[in-house]
Amino acid sequence: MTLLHFQLLAAALFSLGLYGVLARRNAVLVLMGVELMLNAVNVNLVAFAAYRDIPIATGQVIAIFIITLAAAEVGLALAVVLRLFRSRGTADVDAIRGMRG
Amino acid sequence: MELVLFTIAAVLSVGGAVGVVTVNNVVHAAVYLLVAMLGVAAVFVLLYAEFLALVQLLIYGGAVTMVILFALMLTRRSAHEEQAEHVRWPIAAGVSGGVFALLATVSLLDVERLNSAERTGISLETLGRTLFEEWAIPFEVASLVLLIAVVGAIVIGRAGRIEDMASPEGAPPRHVRPGTGRGGSR
Amino acid sequence: MENAWLIPLFPLGAFVALALFRRFLPGQGKWLAVAAVIAAFLAAWPVLFDLVGRGVGPYHFPREWFSAGPLFMGWGTLVDPLTVAMLLLVTFVSVLVQVYSLGYMRHEVKGRRGSHVADDPRIGWYYAAHSLFTASMLTLVLADNLILLYVAWELVGLCSYLLIGFWYERPSAVGAAKKAFITTRIGDVGLLIGIALLVAHTGTFDISANLEMVEHGELSSGITTLVALLLFAGAVGKSAQFPLFVWLPDAMEGPTPVSALIHAATMVTAGVFLVARLLPLYEASEAARLTVASVGLLSGLMGASMALAATDLKRILAFSTMSHLGFMFLALGAGGYTAATFHLLTHGVSKAMLFLAAGSVMHALHDETDIRRMGGLARRMPVTGTAFVLGALALSGVPPLAAFWSKDEILVAVANGLNPVFLVGFLIAIVLSALYMARAVRVALFGEHRADAAHAHESGWVMKGPLALLAVCTVLVGLVALPLGFDGVGSFLFDAAHGPHSFKADPVWMPVGIVLALAGLGLGWWLYDRAPGRVEALRSRFGALARLLENRYYLDPAYQWLVDRVVLAAGRVIAAFDRRWVNDVGMDGPGVATLAVGTRLRMHVSGFFADYGLAVAAGAVALALLLWLGA
Repeated sequence: MTLLHFQLLAAALFSLGLYGVLARRNAVLVLMGVELMLNAVNVNLVAFAAYRDIPIATGQVIAIFIITLAAAEVGLALAVVLRLFRSRGTADVDAIRGMRG
Repeated sequence: MELVLFTIAAVLSVGGAVGVVTVNNVVHAAVYLLVAMLGVAAVFVLLYAEFLALVQLLIYGGAVTMVILFALMLTRRSAHEEQAEHVRWPIAAGVSGGVFALLATVSLLDVERLNSAERTGISLETLGRTLFEEWAIPFEVASLVLLIAVVGAIVIGRAGRIEDMASPEGAPPRHVRPGTGRGGSR
Repeated sequence: MENAWLIPLFPLGAFVALALFRRFLPGQGKWLAVAAVIAAFLAAWPVLFDLVGRGVGPYHFPREWFSAGPLFMGWGTLVDPLTVAMLLLVTFVSVLVQVYSLGYMRHEVKGRRGSHVADDPRIGWYYAAHSLFTASMLTLVLADNLILLYVAWELVGLCSYLLIGFWYERPSAVGAAKKAFITTRIGDVGLLIGIALLVAHTGTFDISANLEMVEHGELSSGITTLVALLLFAGAVGKSAQFPLFVWLPDAMEGPTPVSALIHAATMVTAGVFLVARLLPLYEASEAARLTVASVGLLSGLMGASMALAATDLKRILAFSTMSHLGFMFLALGAGGYTAATFHLLTHGVSKAMLFLAAGSVMHALHDETDIRRMGGLARRMPVTGTAFVLGALALSGVPPLAAFWSKDEILVAVANGLNPVFLVGFLIAIVLSALYMARAVRVALFGEHRADAAHAHESGWVMKGPLALLAVCTVLVGLVALPLGFDGVGSFLFDAAHGPHSFKADPVWMPVGIVLALAGLGLGWWLYDRAPGRVEALRSRFGALARLLENRYYLDPAYQWLVDRVVLAAGRVIAAFDRRWVNDVGMDGPGVATLAVGTRLRMHVSGFFADYGLAVAAGAVALALLLWLGA
């Protein structure tokens, strides 16, 4: 079991999350995709930190920060979704085209 | 033995992730997300990052999934299940497949260099010291970010228009009627 | 003496009180202002007695305002005989002018029920500005460092602007105020640069420390000369010397007591004071010294000659001031510190009296200032007439009146200290001074009555009192030059480098001065009394010269041309560059470009969430590839 395993796992998670973000229409499902991507990054960070000759804690520290910010992001994003749903009656990101040029 | 454990963890997380992005029922998707998070927590344990695994369980397994489920309940409509998801799946699959190929290629090309080290754990004490000494200021900033996010979530999520909250006499919340947004205005 | 800094606080306090609360004070607070300035005058005397008791000093009382590293900013005081003399002169003249103004600033006001005599509607502001003027000048003479001096200097300029433009309903007053302010600013720029340059080389703002360094030769001679000349530029502007005197005749638009204050005590004397205070700087540089002397002589001659051609009573006096200030600079250039400062005092007293007398005349004649429309006033207004005649005689240099003694001192200083060219020029200037004074007195005060002069009447006692007091001073002040009881003013007012200077009657120059002054007076009287035809004849023969003088050496049109053709043309070029390139291209350009690009780009923005995600992913991949391949 080498670093390569973890890297490939992280790559798979990241790609699946990206697919979710791109393909999904429900805003909550898009958000879940983002969470998957963030987790993939965390796996990568922790793996690289662990496979160093001299282990350092920085990888884990940054992972902690990412989790923290992810929590904040989820709260805020869900509030936005809630708000959108109330004003538009839908959580479909394709239906929201206020930013069309 | 470890490889077996790793396989289980990998299958859990990747399987959960596949579930998240494929099923049509949003509640099912949330449950799959929980599974994927548990898988990632297991991966953390395999990387000797026990503390991180614990945090992962608590925050993702507990808080985030709960919040998402609540949001789903509040925005639930029958239309959700019937929505035709995956309208752009060919493009999305192409892009994400490409990204995976790229990442995998990079990993495989550098495999010689990266394979050399053996993984080692980091004691909780070292982690704590690093977090609170070297990263003390980012840590404090993160707390500020959380606070702002909480306040922002409350402000955005409240009923009524945001401008009304500023009026001193506390104007009654006026619900924004659907369709008043100026979507697609040119 | 340590508490001399309190003196400016009286008028300053009056200014603050009047500026803020004049609406609530009886008479708009004019009594308060007068009381404050009288208090300042009384407070100046203990300083004098203290100084006499302790010896001439100078005494330095530094006080810290703030300091930052090696930089020390203070508001301390420097007390020496010059300071004390100026304190007394400024407060004395201010007191008399303010008392005089009580009468002068009452006009006939046409109300609904006929006309009656009342205070000027802005009398409170008048007294407020007056108080600030006095306070600024007192601060200027007390300042121990160049920054405080500069602040006071600019405050003086500001006050002159406020008071010259006091009757701002008149466009000419507004123009004159602006002209005075801007013209003196031109000199002030030199002053500021000079201060900066000096401090950059000595590292301290303190005046005595700076002078000590100059005396010990710690500055290169080039820098010394440059600093001296730059500082002198400020003095030239403030003291209305050539070539920056153009504001002075126009400044007569202000109320006449203001002219008295400006000309005798507060404004124009600042330049002389500055050069006198920094005299070691000028002694250290031959070029600067000669420049001061040359500018002084040139201004003395030009002022006197223009006074000869002017027909406006106040302008005659203004040119006379310019001429006499020129004499002071000439004396300073000759190293005659005592002569210059003594002349500053005697001229201040006499000129204040002359202006107040002129104001009295104007008051009686409803603001008539043209001397050709006066005449025969001496009989109608005996006090005013006597005062004017006394002042004229004094400034002409007739013994034993005040300015005679100081003028004699200047003559001796010039004869001993400078090239004979300067001496010849000064002797001509003495004759001219006497000549124009004789002309003014003869045409304005004697002879037959003319148009409006018939119903002229003497003013009230608030105006006559100061005149009488100044007349007494004009007679007596000069006597302090003589060793009567003490060693004369020279043992008191002297600079350290030259030591005490006792007055001596020079066997050659004193008679020469007296003879020349009397000759000028006699010639003037003869020309304008007995032979008016000759004046016209001379006029037509030297038409070009007369026009040159009447047009004030064409400096105003020259400056106008300079401003129109050079400054404004350059300004237009710069403005065009600014508009076309800086504004249109530099500022608006990026905005317009962004707008245009945005207008084009927004056609491609779909508003689809997934499109944004795709774009972000594509960008991230591109960036990663770039980094990977680049590394």
